[in-house]
Amino acid sequence: MSVSTVLSAAVFGLKAEFVNVEADVSNGLPAFHMVGYLSSEVKEAVERVRTAIRNSGLEFPAKKVVINLAPATIKKRGAMFDLPIALAILVSLGQLKQERIGKLLILGELGLDGTVQRVPGILPIVLEAQDAGVTSCMIPKENALEGALAEGMEIIGVRSLQEAVAHIQGTLEIPPEPYPVQRMYSHAGTERLDYSDVYGQEVVKRAAEVAVAGCHNLLLIGPPGSGKSMIAKRIPTIFPPMTMEECMETTKIYSILSMLDEQNPLIRRRPFRSVHHTATKTAMVGGGVIPTPGEISLAHGGVLFLDELPEFRREVLEVLRQPLEERQIRITRSSGTCQFPANFILVGAMNPCPCGCYPDLNRCSCTDKEIQRYMGRLSQPFLDRMDICVEAPQVKYEALKGQRQEERSADIQERVGRAREVQNERYKGTGIRSNAALEGRNLERYCELGKTEEQLMQQAFSRLRLTARTYHKVLKVARTIADLDGQEKINTEHLQEAIGYRTINKKYWGRGA
Amino acid sequence: MHKKYEYWLAAIPGLANGSKQMLREHMKSAERAYYIEETALQKLDFLTEKDREILRQAKKKYNPEEICEELETKQIQVAIYFEETYPSRLKMIADNPYAIYFKGNLPDEKQYSVGMVGARRCTAYGETYAYEYAKILSEFHIQIISGLARGIDGVSQRGALVGGGKTFAVMGNGVDICYPRENSGLYGDILAAGGGILSELPPGTPPMPYQFPRRNRIISGLSDTVLVMEAREKSGSLITADMALEQGKDVYALPGSVDSALSLGCNRLIWQGAGILLSPGHLLEELGVVNHEDYMKFSGKSDEKCVEKKKVLETKENLVYSSVGFHPKSANQIVSETGLPAQVVFQLLSALEIQGMIKEVSKNYYVKA
Repeated sequence: MSVSTVLSAAVFGLKAEFVNVEADVSNGLPAFHMVGYLSSEVKEAVERVRTAIRNSGLEFPAKKVVINLAPATIKKRGAMFDLPIALAILVSLGQLKQERIGKLLILGELGLDGTVQRVPGILPIVLEAQDAGVTSCMIPKENALEGALAEGMEIIGVRSLQEAVAHIQGTLEIPPEPYPVQRMYSHAGTERLDYSDVYGQEVVKRAAEVAVAGCHNLLLIGPPGSGKSMIAKRIPTIFPPMTMEECMETTKIYSILSMLDEQNPLIRRRPFRSVHHTATKTAMVGGGVIPTPGEISLAHGGVLFLDELPEFRREVLEVLRQPLEERQIRITRSSGTCQFPANFILVGAMNPCPCGCYPDLNRCSCTDKEIQRYMGRLSQPFLDRMDICVEAPQVKYEALKGQRQEERSADIQERVGRAREVQNERYKGTGIRSNAALEGRNLERYCELGKTEEQLMQQAFSRLRLTARTYHKVLKVARTIADLDGQEKINTEHLQEAIGYRTINKKYWGRGA
Repeated sequence: MHKKYEYWLAAIPGLANGSKQMLREHMKSAERAYYIEETALQKLDFLTEKDREILRQAKKKYNPEEICEELETKQIQVAIYFEETYPSRLKMIADNPYAIYFKGNLPDEKQYSVGMVGARRCTAYGETYAYEYAKILSEFHIQIISGLARGIDGVSQRGALVGGGKTFAVMGNGVDICYPRENSGLYGDILAAGGGILSELPPGTPPMPYQFPRRNRIISGLSDTVLVMEAREKSGSLITADMALEQGKDVYALPGSVDSALSLGCNRLIWQGAGILLSPGHLLEELGVVNHEDYMKFSGKSDEKCVEKKKVLETKENLVYSSVGFHPKSANQIVSETGLPAQVVFQLLSALEIQGMIKEVSKNYYVKA
């Protein structure tokens, strides 16, 4: 009997922390001690491990057992240490040989009957283990496909403690999980949503196309039942297809929250996250003692949809401002700082007034005060982050009849893809991701205007009471429209269209009609 | 006799206009009312006990000197009912104000005056015609009386100023307070153009909902004719129209579409026998302020302008422009009506907007400017 060590790991943010599980079994009063800065779910492993070992037909003698999870400076959470603890004890008891475990990274939660259950965060851990030189991992069978996404890593998926023991003893050969990506690409699920399902709403469709092409945030204003969420749900279908790198990034985030499909763990569809307006700050951006990603990271690479925008708590919206600029979120807690990617397009939807009928004065019964109070729940700095703003009108019968053939998502996707390529080419090596990210000097450089265009903007500036901010937004959006049009120079038509999409100014809202 | 006591009496809130007048008539001067003894006060049987208490309190609470000072520093003048300056039109109405506080001037007694009222939340249709009528009436030196409110009131008074005439705003609060605040520019412009801001309420009185229906009787009282530009079925504008009829004034209403809630009140007025606003020229002729030649000259001019406006537009612009009307129409509707692609419609809408031909009233809802 001696001290044994098993390699395991925990996730912290998107990073893995490697943990050595040490076990020592000695003579003395029968006891089971666990040390190493553990949270209560880790400490509860005592009962799970003891019972699971017994129920697996193995012996658990009445001895003094001490478990240490090193390094002791990191707080350990989660149930993924159950399996490594059990195996470490078995090594100490002499039932397994330490050298056969070697540098195997082991993760898994145990049930009382000895089954190994799935745990969160497999993919980020396995990927980082690969970087650290680990070549083989033993993980729950349910997580095996997810772990196998790390190409070249030997993944042993186990269903029970018995299987794990048998594999290590060499009495049962479990074949490593094959790298499944090829298979999943060929089985690419068919997209059920398509733009051609939406009749009419040309304005919103066009605006969404421009928004996706230049990564602009989109604000839809329209009465209830105007199909705002129906359109929003389909916006991910006009994005260019995800690259492998993007797929892995998004899958990692979903892995931490155990949100992956067991059979098809790789996320290849752009996420669409619709958040209810009761969401808290933490739910939105992420957080917790050991930070976990929030909705903005779950929407990474896709669309974050906020319906009923003014109903959201103000602080929840304000906290979005920084990630909208930086395209990632940094969460600092006493346990350390985590970074999660959060590169998404924000699609907001709201009613024009509390009753939703403005500016149809035949039906709108809201007073100026009520409308202003409603708008007052959004701050102007937040509104200023919405590059494109359009109305989503009530769908009329003629539109429902659908006389004309509606455009399919694939057609729009192709145009968007081309516009994105143009941007990638133009901004190569500048660190600029898209037209939406243009600022200051870059804005002037890439959105240069000719004489007539300058004149038009001057007129628009004075006539339409544009602010400096809206002026810049119009330029950025016009750049995207020109890219969609395949033009190198922004012309008046591009500017005019962009002016039509300009953000609302709270000051003048509800003062006309 | 010093006027300060007169101002003191005028400024007492809570005492009905009638009671104040009777008190003033009985005592022959406000000074005597101020120094009235308790026994004499008891004998005034036209006052209730409550009125007497108000008088006693007013003597303690309000200092005639301070009232005078305030009027002076704020450059507010007062016309009390028995004075020369008091508008003779107001003497004719029931429950006439005891005094009128004003900044600037009072309406000219010899000039024709037209009251213009309508909904605060009005449509572009009402706004356009309120502006047009006010402007043309004002060009013919007709004074426009209104209430400086949002919507029709404000637009009418702006139109009157552009027409080069004088306009008078009757407030539902003290004349030193500009309510609503967003019309403070207009407030200044009215004064600068030689018009006036009027109220029966002493300076410093804040705007209260119950004061507005009462001020409407002054608007109609000061007017020879009242125009109702847009009104819902139950609205303050109809109260004004009712008062105007009680006061024996002519009422005209702007007809509107039967499916527009904001024209219902007007259409009903017309059905009840109010005059119909067919065109500014027609109205001017009916009012008898303009002779036929002037009217012809004026109407010829306006036709020309209309043609000019349309000629400069290109065909596609014209297509979009003609689908925009007085009721807000969404970009989406315009797309389906014209059959043009969304981006082209946006280009044309922005172009028209920059030219000042149309106006965006709410996000992507447009009306003719």
